[in-house]
Amino acid sequence: MDSEIPLPPPRRIRHRSPANANPSATGIAVSSFQRAQRLSRFDDRSSQPSSDPALFSSDDIPASGLENYHATVSGAGRKRRYRGTWWGEQVLDPKRKRAEFKDKRNVDSGVWMGSDESGAESLLPSEDGSAWGEDLRKSVLDPRKPGSSTPFTVETENMPTHNRVVFKSPEEPDAHRFARQVVGDCLDKGHESIDLGDFHLETIPSGLLRPLQHLTKLPSVKEAPVSENVFTSLQPFLSIYLPNNSLSALHNDLFELTNLKVLSLRNNKLTEIPSTIRRLTALEVLNLSVNQLAYLPWELLKLMQEGELKHLTVRPNPFLPIEKAQIAEWHNPPTNQKETENDEPLQFENQESSLGKDWSPLHIATGPITYMNMEGNPMGDSPFRNKPTPSPSGLKSPVNDAPSLREIALRAVSKLPYLEQTTDEELAEYPAMIVPLLRQAREVRAAGGQPCSVCHREYVIPRAEWMEWWDFTPCENGMKMPRCPGERLRPLPFRRFGCSLSCVPQSC
Amino acid sequence: MAQPTDSEFVTIVSDDGFEFIIPRSTAYVSETLRIPLSSTNYPEGRDGKFVLKDFSGVIVEKICEYLCYNEKHKDQVNVPDMDIPPELCLELLMAADFLNT
Repeated sequence: MDSEIPLPPPRRIRHRSPANANPSATGIAVSSFQRAQRLSRFDDRSSQPSSDPALFSSDDIPASGLENYHATVSGAGRKRRYRGTWWGEQVLDPKRKRAEFKDKRNVDSGVWMGSDESGAESLLPSEDGSAWGEDLRKSVLDPRKPGSSTPFTVETENMPTHNRVVFKSPEEPDAHRFARQVVGDCLDKGHESIDLGDFHLETIPSGLLRPLQHLTKLPSVKEAPVSENVFTSLQPFLSIYLPNNSLSALHNDLFELTNLKVLSLRNNKLTEIPSTIRRLTALEVLNLSVNQLAYLPWELLKLMQEGELKHLTVRPNPFLPIEKAQIAEWHNPPTNQKETENDEPLQFENQESSLGKDWSPLHIATGPITYMNMEGNPMGDSPFRNKPTPSPSGLKSPVNDAPSLREIALRAVSKLPYLEQTTDEELAEYPAMIVPLLRQAREVRAAGGQPCSVCHREYVIPRAEWMEWWDFTPCENGMKMPRCPGERLRPLPFRRFGCSLSCVPQSC
Repeated sequence: MAQPTDSEFVTIVSDDGFEFIIPRSTAYVSETLRIPLSSTNYPEGRDGKFVLKDFSGVIVEKICEYLCYNEKHKDQVNVPDMDIPPELCLELLMAADFLNT
């Protein structure tokens, strides 16, 4: 047992047992969950649960048996911990190999070297034990303790429960106040895992998450002998958990946290994920299950293809089923398209399986394009928008691919320095016809600009919109295995925008 | 005497009297300009002259620049952005609304 190479320490230390769940919150959750599940019962065939992966510890080590009850407990060390489902722990992605090796290097080889002065103390079990206690303390920071009068209790060993001075407006709801307190607490103590689950949050209050950009872990130096082990990165592995709330929209602050690694929005009321999510380039795990999403932002695909996103949980959600959607072009046609009835789900099978492609998302189909006019409203089935027939000059309104004057002016507006500070009252002083446009420009600015998904240039008013169907089973199953030939594909809709009438899929 | 509507150029006049002569096809980008300029029922169509009463010379110059820019980049894909001074962008937004472009 001891000769085995121990698993690297888990990246996140967090215990969560279902017994701790707030019973009333689960009651609400169950009803919405059942609804969502009914809607998507066909697509929920993944072996992975939609909940955030649990953390397990190993069986007791042999020395801790009853016969050794009075033996020194300090010799026990810490248990091994696993992340993920019990029927298959998560495989770390290959990019992490180097870090793993470094971790292994710090493990005691059993050979004492004369030069290794501080190593002896550092590997004393007591050191290990205290660190374990620290972990435990973190895990106790769970707001859902049954029986407690307040929604959260913080147990601290060293400091008495202090009354934090929280700046708040008097009418701020309790949920916001508690959330602020939790975030403040994590900031004070350098906890990298922020748990805001079951807070009944309907919105994320502004300014709640912003300070987390500057979260730094606290160095774990306890007493004088400084061992090599304490020299670890203070860069946090930032995780934000917002499950079981009532969020219907996400605040832009959330997308400012560019070093965010884990984000869980499970069981909320989200109907749309803003495309601003592309700014979370460090994101590795994202859980969007049990929401009201009909489609995903196309930018998520980019995070999977070019970013770090390796574990995306999106089911169940009332996604637009591909059987009911209009498809303009098939990139990977279903195998039973001809003989299928309307009610039967289409069968997709992975045909080509070239190396390297097994892991990446697979483009299945593209939906029809909706063109928008200069104000961003759908143009409808305007006959002059058919590409092959150029509008006869003079009679029809010439629609062309160059940006409209409105768009160009709005791009200039969105670069104005004071735009963010303008309030709605100030905007109302402008002529009524440009107020909605200005508001839109302000939103785009607040979101940090939005690049066109085709030409990558910043735009304000989208002119084309379409759905793309992609399969990303490998990311859904947590990179456990690549796609194998003949495997069923389960494509999901992604909404994509273009900034001009020519920024559309190439083949259309 | 040739009909003014057949002329290849039209004149856009600003509020403060600046005149800008631009190709007729470029002016037709805007619905607001095209309808009066293309018909002899309107005085604008007979004279080939359109007065933008609400906009000053600086703005009308930018508008004309845009009309030509639009004509030039009609069928191109990667259109470079037109340079707009920040102090003009709000008025240009109004002009865009008026001209429906």
